[in-house]
Amino acid sequence: MAVRRSGGGTDNDMRKRVFLLTAFFVFSFFSISTALAQVQVRMRVIQASNVGQNIDPSLKDVHHELGSLFSFTSYRLLREETLRLSPNQPVTITAHPGRFLEVNLVGLQKDAAKLRVRVIREGKDILDTQVRLSPGRTVLIGGPRHGEGVVIYALSARF
Amino acid sequence: MKNSCSSVSTLLEKYFDLEVTDEERFLAEGHLQDCPACRAALKSMEELRTWMRVPVEEAVQKEDFPWVWQKIEREIRLQKRRTWWQSLRAWLDVTPLFRRKVWIPAVATVVVLLFISTEIILKKTPSYPDGSVVEYVESQSDNVMVYQLEEEKVTVIWLFEGPEEERTTT
Repeated sequence: MAVRRSGGGTDNDMRKRVFLLTAFFVFSFFSISTALAQVQVRMRVIQASNVGQNIDPSLKDVHHELGSLFSFTSYRLLREETLRLSPNQPVTITAHPGRFLEVNLVGLQKDAAKLRVRVIREGKDILDTQVRLSPGRTVLIGGPRHGEGVVIYALSARF
Repeated sequence: MKNSCSSVSTLLEKYFDLEVTDEERFLAEGHLQDCPACRAALKSMEELRTWMRVPVEEAVQKEDFPWVWQKIEREIRLQKRRTWWQSLRAWLDVTPLFRRKVWIPAVATVVVLLFISTEIILKKTPSYPDGSVVEYVESQSDNVMVYQLEEEKVTVIWLFEGPEEERTTT
């Protein structure tokens, strides 16, 4: 009668378990790291002009700031987007015809995200800036002409 | 060729249990024809079997084997009916790992990952003492102005775009 060594199957099962648990742990670690390193930036493209006196209802939360900073009479939301930024992976969007906005997360601190923002017109940087955006703070980049007014990009971070 | 009783006696039990090859059977039967001692030994084996068969068969008749099987099957069914939570716990049970040396590479992996994660966490801790938000700003074509409202927590970067504007870099 052949004597079978008990526990051979258990060894294989154990190796499989260890491998799967380790793989799960490593995968979770990198997923969490990636998620932690991500920053959500809310970007709004606002057209400001002195034509009419319309305030877009969706700009209620920044209307007070806009009113205290600028003397425009009309504010219209052209576009709103939430950008999910990962370190050194720039996101380019068409801000309005002929102009592109490139946002790149270049650094992440405990209480601030460091963003490089470029406004590009005809392949040329008309604005290149690096800002530190903390939660609750808004950076307004304005000035580029659009129609009868100007465009203001409102950037705020969430992380 | 005449075979001795000692060489055939080892074969006799196999012959009795019908476990011999044709050659061995021929050898055993040839020897049994000439050897009364081995014939007597074979006869005593037959008698022993008969004596044992009767009480064993009686005992088997008294036993309720279907009932035993029912009991075994019920136990198997009970073992199979594990809840998903029990199955998961059994699968995730790592106590056997502590009896083996596999925990050494596992602990090493965890330590390395913790070291890396600590580096990442520490990297995120520094904060900026000043309220400055804009680190740098430049334009290849237009004037730029920066102003900041601390109460409103708003920073404005204004680009004076247009051909009529003075084209200098700020």
